Amino acid sequence: MDVFIQLVVSGIALGMIYALIAFGYQLTFATSGTLNFGQGEALMLGALVGLTLVGHMSYWLMLPLVLVFGALQGVVVERVGVRPAIKTKSEFGWIMTTISLAIIFKNVAENIWGHDDIPFPSPLPTEPLQFFGIRVLPMEIMVVVGALAIMLAVEIFNRKSIYGKAVVATSNDRDAAGLMGINTSMVITFSYALSSMTAAFAGVLVAPLTLTGATMGVSLGLKAFAVAIIGGLNSGLGVIVGGLILGIAETTTGYYLSTGYKDVPGLVLLLLVLSIKPAGIFGKSVIKKV
Amino acid sequence: MSLNKKIAAVLAIAVAAMLPTFWPNPYYIHLMVVIGIYAILLLGLDIVVGYVGEVSLGHAALFGVGSYAAGVLHAKLAVPFLLAVPASIAITGLFGALLALPALRVSGPYLAMVTLAFGTIIQILINEMDFLTNGPLGLSVRKPVWFGHHISGTDYYYVVLVALIATLFVIQRILKSHLGRAFEALHDSPIASDCMGVSVYGYKVYAFVLSAAIAGLAGALFTYSEEYISPNTYNFELTILFLLAVIMGGRKTRTGPVLGAIIVVMLPNVLSDIDLFREISIGIAVITAVYAVYAFVTRQRTARQLALPLAATIALAVSGFMMENITDHRLTIFGAMILFVVYYLPNGIMGFLRGIIVKFRPQWIHRHTLISEHGDMQHVWAVPDHPVTANGFLLEARNIVMQFGGLKALSEVNLQISKGTVHGLIGPNGSGKSTTMNVLTGIYKPTSGEIDFNGKLITGATPSSIAGEGIARTFQNVQLFGEMTAIENVLVGLHHTYRHNILDVVFHTPRCKREKHAAEVRAASLLRFVGLADLANEEARNLPYGKQRLLEIARALALNPSLLLLDEPAAGLTAPDIKELIAMIEKIRSHGITVILIEHHMDVVMSICDKVTVLDFGQKIAEGTPAEIQSNEKVIGAYLGGSAA
Repeated sequence: MDVFIQLVVSGIALGMIYALIAFGYQLTFATSGTLNFGQGEALMLGALVGLTLVGHMSYWLMLPLVLVFGALQGVVVERVGVRPAIKTKSEFGWIMTTISLAIIFKNVAENIWGHDDIPFPSPLPTEPLQFFGIRVLPMEIMVVVGALAIMLAVEIFNRKSIYGKAVVATSNDRDAAGLMGINTSMVITFSYALSSMTAAFAGVLVAPLTLTGATMGVSLGLKAFAVAIIGGLNSGLGVIVGGLILGIAETTTGYYLSTGYKDVPGLVLLLLVLSIKPAGIFGKSVIKKV
Repeated sequence: MSLNKKIAAVLAIAVAAMLPTFWPNPYYIHLMVVIGIYAILLLGLDIVVGYVGEVSLGHAALFGVGSYAAGVLHAKLAVPFLLAVPASIAITGLFGALLALPALRVSGPYLAMVTLAFGTIIQILINEMDFLTNGPLGLSVRKPVWFGHHISGTDYYYVVLVALIATLFVIQRILKSHLGRAFEALHDSPIASDCMGVSVYGYKVYAFVLSAAIAGLAGALFTYSEEYISPNTYNFELTILFLLAVIMGGRKTRTGPVLGAIIVVMLPNVLSDIDLFREISIGIAVITAVYAVYAFVTRQRTARQLALPLAATIALAVSGFMMENITDHRLTIFGAMILFVVYYLPNGIMGFLRGIIVKFRPQWIHRHTLISEHGDMQHVWAVPDHPVTANGFLLEARNIVMQFGGLKALSEVNLQISKGTVHGLIGPNGSGKSTTMNVLTGIYKPTSGEIDFNGKLITGATPSSIAGEGIARTFQNVQLFGEMTAIENVLVGLHHTYRHNILDVVFHTPRCKREKHAAEVRAASLLRFVGLADLANEEARNLPYGKQRLLEIARALALNPSLLLLDEPAAGLTAPDIKELIAMIEKIRSHGITVILIEHHMDVVMSICDKVTVLDFGQKIAEGTPAEIQSNEKVIGAYLGGSAA
């Protein structure tokens, strides 16, 4: 039983990372109906840039710089990959361009940082804390707190500020928002900046717990997509619950079955949710008007 | 196929058959074998990507399933080649179905991610199930021995060539048949194809399974070609390579996938030679620069449009000299190529060449098969597939409620449609007329209430099965298959008359020919009935609005309906056209087809309807003969405002 609780606790930290990446998917999907297939690569770049910076400064000073880098990376993705495809209304177009940007980023990262995984120095003590016999790493607590904090910050921004209202308006009806004088393509660029920024942040949060490397983003991005689908692409609560479900499913499968299979439950869950309720557990299904 | 094309095909086969004598080097022969295998897979992938219009990131995995099916059968059970190949086609088709059945409930980016997830699962399974697959160590296989002769690399080239020609032939036949038409229709307008009884979901699954089976063939051939397979071959990179090949070669063509296969197989060879890469990149930069100057001087393009591609090609040429080793940058180059193709060559190389030919020799290109049947008045009508058995009311809707969030678009609506009548449905804008149509045809599932049609409960059934029961419709916002000709549109409506299966299609059996001919005569006759006989081979999107509405009626009649729902058929018609429309509706009624008519032209409604129902704010406010409705105070109130009681 103790082992199980231990697995659940570790699963929670992992799940929050998935939730944070999935949250990034939601941001761009809401404003533009598009997703960045390179979300995992945005995370990887954030982590690796963070790794380079952390050699010259403290972890806490590095954080804002990584956030800025992530935002800029998001702008590049939107300008090069998404905007031309939105103009031509080509779904095929943006799927393919964001995938190709993702493989370019991965390849460039491999050429700069090499093929091997590199450990990321932890800013907090690596000695686990004991709570009723359950061991928790201080970094795991920081992951949960950090992920919740940034999601909350974005939500408050959207609800309270006038710029946030522009984002919400664009999400509800892009054409109508455009007619009301909102620069919707600017809003979409902004949502991409925000989305990649959260991914980069997730990268530097998770890096001290795992290893950093050019390939770290691929499976994280895919599993976070599973989370976004399981929770529902338009539900904030959904991604957190979905993330936790997947994180815990993964740590328990890894322990009880085999670590080789740990990616399987999430992907199977994805297929199951799609075949039973494609809008996700918490998502509202939208009826297409004819 | 025209004579010219046949000659070209025979010549191409002859050249392909002679290639090993020109290049006897085993290395080149192996490359050609791989090109052939990839081409087979890409032809199948094109069904999904080109025709159905979905992105599959799972084809490398399906290729892997095919490879391992053959490999395991050979290594563990010693199954001979000629049995292992069909078996792996079947097994991969089965895996395709396993993926397609849940995954194709969604489309677009969802489907892309789901297929990617499937690909990841397959790779994990191949790695982990080492009792079957030997895990990361891989499997060794030998080429078959036939009649005591061990098949050599060159012999195997001919095996693959035969398989490629067979695949080309089969796919060409399928895509030119009613099945191919169904794939194109569901891509063009999913809602219309569902309402024509061509189930979007069903045919997407069909296309995907077909495509998977072909990937299985390619995979099995690959196993015997390489004689050693390991899990890492079937990774994400290979999937991207396949997609690049399909879109670069040219979607919806047979030559495109072959060309794409040549490019992606030769590419790594080009990329391993840095000098060659430098020469090619300089060549591309020079060509782009010359074109840019030409386009700028002739004012075809602005400086802004030209700046990005010019900068990119120059950057490519410069980067060629900065790199010492090019294989490390292979994926970046793939990625850049995809970006280039998506933005500057959206129809691929074959589409680009086709565009050039159309400019100079338009008569050489036929985008559609011309159908020259003329049709006659005898063949317009046919008995419904399901004879009308109901007495009295053909359709009865009881207490229908349709709720969108907090809005009740229909509340407690009852509708009884008598057999053989024209039933008018009128009401001000937003009163729920079109919603009623959508509920009756299954596009919306009503929140509560039930619908009885021809003695059967159809509430909750899918649009395609409702269409199959005999309810046909037209749309308020025209939903034609825009890129198909008028007669092809009607042929989609006649899809239910094609009873022959895929084998009949491949072998062109007499049954297939007979049904095809009958459908074409019928389609031409229906076009004649609505007065579009002269425009049969014109693309639907090029027709004027009024004619598009008439075409929708012809397409709906092709379904042999017992109930026809017309949603504002007179919109966009001129006064003389409206007279013809009225005559047409009367003829439809006289042939025993019940009609529900939504219309804003009151003269049309009042002159032909036997009964009229009036909706306002989602409620039925009046029902009766046209004369009763005209004098009903509530109706007048609803239309003109004022003190309706």
